[in-house]
Amino acid sequence: MSDFLTLQDLTLAYGGTVAVDRLNLSIRQGELIALLGPSGCGKTTTMRSIAGLLTPKSGTIRLDGRDITRLAPSRREVGLVFQSYALFPHLTVFENVAFGLRLRREKDLDAKVRAGLATVGLSDFADRAPAALSGGQQQRVALARSLVMNPKVLLLDEPLSNLDARLRLEMRLELQRVQRETGVTMVFVTHDQAEALALADRIVVMRDGAIEQVGAPEEIWTAPASAFVADFVGFETILPDPETGGALAWRPAAVSLGHGPHTGAVRGVSFAGAAREYVLDTPLGVVKAETPASEPPLPLGAEVAFDLPRETAARLPGTL
Amino acid sequence: MFSSRAEGLALTLPAAVFAAALFLLPVGILLSEAFRTAEGGWTLMGYWEFFSSGRNQTVFLRSLKLAAEVTAVAAVIGYAAAYSIVTLPKTARGRVFGLVILPLMISPVARTYAWLVILGRTGFVNEALVSLGIVDSPLRILFTETAVFIGLLQLFLPLMVIALVSAMENMPRDAIPAARVLGANWAQVFLKVILPLTREGLVIGGTLVFTGSLTAYITPAILGGSKVLMLETLLYQRVTVANDFVSASVIAMILIVMSFSANLLLKRMATARRSRAAS
Amino acid sequence: MSPRLAAWAVLALVLTFLIGPFVIIILAGLSAGNSLAFPPQGISLQWYLKVFTIESFQASFGMSMFLAVFGTLAALGLGIPAAYGLNRYKVPGAETVRLVVSAPIIVPGIIVGLGLLRYLVIPTGIGITLALFLAHTALILPYAVRVVSASIENLRTDIEEAAVLLGCTRFGAFRKVVLPNIRGGVLAAFILGFVTSFNQVPVSLFLSGPGVRTLPVDMIAYMEINYDPSVAALSALLAFMSVAIVFAAEKFLGFSKYV
Repeated sequence: MSDFLTLQDLTLAYGGTVAVDRLNLSIRQGELIALLGPSGCGKTTTMRSIAGLLTPKSGTIRLDGRDITRLAPSRREVGLVFQSYALFPHLTVFENVAFGLRLRREKDLDAKVRAGLATVGLSDFADRAPAALSGGQQQRVALARSLVMNPKVLLLDEPLSNLDARLRLEMRLELQRVQRETGVTMVFVTHDQAEALALADRIVVMRDGAIEQVGAPEEIWTAPASAFVADFVGFETILPDPETGGALAWRPAAVSLGHGPHTGAVRGVSFAGAAREYVLDTPLGVVKAETPASEPPLPLGAEVAFDLPRETAARLPGTL
Repeated sequence: MFSSRAEGLALTLPAAVFAAALFLLPVGILLSEAFRTAEGGWTLMGYWEFFSSGRNQTVFLRSLKLAAEVTAVAAVIGYAAAYSIVTLPKTARGRVFGLVILPLMISPVARTYAWLVILGRTGFVNEALVSLGIVDSPLRILFTETAVFIGLLQLFLPLMVIALVSAMENMPRDAIPAARVLGANWAQVFLKVILPLTREGLVIGGTLVFTGSLTAYITPAILGGSKVLMLETLLYQRVTVANDFVSASVIAMILIVMSFSANLLLKRMATARRSRAAS
Repeated sequence: MSPRLAAWAVLALVLTFLIGPFVIIILAGLSAGNSLAFPPQGISLQWYLKVFTIESFQASFGMSMFLAVFGTLAALGLGIPAAYGLNRYKVPGAETVRLVVSAPIIVPGIIVGLGLLRYLVIPTGIGITLALFLAHTALILPYAVRVVSASIENLRTDIEEAAVLLGCTRFGAFRKVVLPNIRGGVLAAFILGFVTSFNQVPVSLFLSGPGVRTLPVDMIAYMEINYDPSVAALSALLAFMSVAIVFAAEKFLGFSKYV
C-alpha cells in the first residue's frame, strides 16, 4: 500500500527561475498530507505539477503505479479544489458538480450529483447560482465537484485561508470527515502551521523549493529538524548549543522567568488571554518568554532573571 | 497552462496579419507615392508643390483653424455641461449623460443632414429671421465656415463632455467646497482647482475633438461643399476630379502624422498618470 | 440664479443643440410638400413611405446591413482569439500586435479606402463588395479586441484550469467556460461593431462601384442631386434604428458598462 503517489527528483521552473529543485516525496494511499511553508517555498507549484497544470522541467510523478509526469491534466484522475474555488459562474450548483461527469458521459448523472451534494451537506442548494452562496458553501461545492469524479488524489489549495475563524473549524472537521468516509488521498497546501498540525496525518515542511522536514504533526511539533522548522512551529528562541555544536530551541512557555542564571530587560509585553508574552533583550540575543496571565505583569524596562533549561529545549541537529 | 508561446501566437497572429495586410500595407504604399518620381527615384517635390499651392495652403490652415476653434469652444461648453452634469442627483445624472452620448450612436450623415434643414435658404433659421423681419432676404449660412463649424461642434461635443465628466467624477469629492471655504471665488476655483484636477480629461477630450474635426469628411462635404474644403474633402476632390495621387499622398501623411501624434500624446498622458498613481 | 437652476439651464441649451436637430429632421421628413423645409409644409407620411421604394436606397441598405453583420462577425472571429491570446498568454511582441490591431482606429478611414482601392482592388481585380467587406472587418477589429479584452480580463483563469482538470480540452474549456462568461462583452462588441460599420462613411467612400454603395455614401450622393425630404425621413428612421438598438442593448445587458 505504500508509495501511492511519488515525486522523484521533481524540478519545476517558472520562466527561467527554478521554483522547486529535485524534490522527492512518497505518499501512501488514504493519507492526508499537508505541504506547509511560507509563500514562495514551492508548495503551490508542486501541487500544480501534480495536477498537470505545470509541466516539470525534469523528474517523474507516479500515481498508483502509473507515470503521469507528461499526462494531460484531465487523464490523471487528480482533483483540485482551488483557493478561490473556481466555480463556473454561469452554471448552477448542480451543473457545476455535474460538469466533469457530463464530459465523461456517466450514467446515473443525477443520482451521482445528488450524492455528491449530500456528502457536503448542500442538497438544498442544487439550483442556486454560485454567486448566491457564502464562501464556505462555495468551497463545499468545489469539493463536491472534485469528489464526484472519484479522483485518486484530491489536492486542496489553501482550503481554509478564505474562511473566517468559525467556518475554518467547521471546514476542518468537514474535510476530515470527507476523508474518513471516502478514503481519498488528500494533499493540501497551507502556510498556516496550526492548520497543518490539526488536519494532516503527515506534514511536509518546505522552504525555498526543497523539503525541510517530513513527519507526523507530533514529530514536527516536538522535534523540528532544523531552525527553520522550529521557528515555523513556534520555537521563538533558538540558540547555539556549545555542548553538541548543534542548536537548542525553546517555545516561550519553556523559558522560566523570574529565576535562573541569565538576565534580560523587558522590551515588550502583551496580554494574550491565558498568558502574558514578553520580549526580553538579553546578552544572548532576543528571548521570548511567557507567564500565566494570573501572575502580576512585569513593568517595561525591568531587569529580570530567566533560565533556558536544557530539558525543555528541542535539540536541533546541525549548526545555525 | 498558458505558457505555450506557439498557442499565444496562433491566437493573435491572424488578427495582426489581417490588420497589417489591409491597413498598414496599402496605407504605406499610398504614403510613399508622394516621394516617388515617375522614373522610380526619390523626391520631395510632391510636398513642395503641394504646399506652394495657395489653395492647398488655405485648406490646410482652414482645417487646423476650424479644428482648433471647435476644440476650444467644445472645451468651454464642455466644462459648463460636465460641471452641471456632475452636480445632478444620481439618477438624473445617468439619464442626462445618456442623452449626451446618444448622438454618438446615430449616423453622422443623419446628424449632419439636420443642419441642412436648419441652416438652408428655406431652413428654420432663415424662415425665422425673415418672418421676424430681422433680415429682408435669406442669409447664406450653408457652405460657409460657420456651417461647418456648427456641424463639427455638434458632432464632437459629446466626446469632450464624456472626457470631462469622467475627469470630474474622479476629482476628490470635497475639493470645490474646500476651496470655497478657504475664500476662493468661482474664477479662482476653476483656475486653481477644477482645471488642474481635470487637465487629463481636457487633454483626452481635446485630442479626440481636434483629430475628429481635422479628419472629418462628412461635415465639410455636406455643409461646406466645394466652397469650404477641408483636408479630407480636398483629398477626395483631388482624386476624383484630377486623379492627383501625389496630393492625396501628402494629405494622407498630414492626417496620419496628426492622428498618431495625438494618440501618442494621449498614451503618454495615460502612462504619466499611472506612474504618478504608483509612486 | 441658484446653482441648481443654472445647471439645468446649461444642460437644456446643450441638449437642445445636441438632440434638437433630430427633432427637426423627424418633422422635416413629415412634410407634405416636395422640397426640404422647416417648419414642414403640411403633415404627411409620404416621404417616410417613399424611402422604402427608392431602389438605390434598397440596394445600399442591403449592402450596409450585409457589411455591418458579416463584417462584425468576421471581426469577432479574428478579434476574440486575439483578445484571448493577448490576455492569457505571454505573446512575443504583444505590444506590436496590439498596435497593429488597433491601427484601423488611428488611421483615417478615407486613406484606407483609397489605399485599398488603388493597391488591392485595381491590381487584383477583386470585387468592390469583397474589398468593402475586408475593410469593414478591419475597421471593426479594434473595437472587437478592446471590448472582448475587457471581459476576458475580468474573468479568472482558474475556472479554465478547473474545467481542464474535470476533463475538458483547452478548446472545450474555452467554449464551455470562457465563452458563456464573456457573452455580454461579445454581444456588446457586436452592437458597437454593427453601429460603427453601419454609420461608417470615409472607408466606403472610394470603395463604391456601379450599384455597390453603402447606405450613408448613397445618402450623400442622393442629397447632392435631390432637395426633397426623403433623406430627412431616412435619417430619422436610421436615428430611430440606432436609438432602439442602443436602448435594447442597455436594457438587456447594461451595454454602457462594456463600452
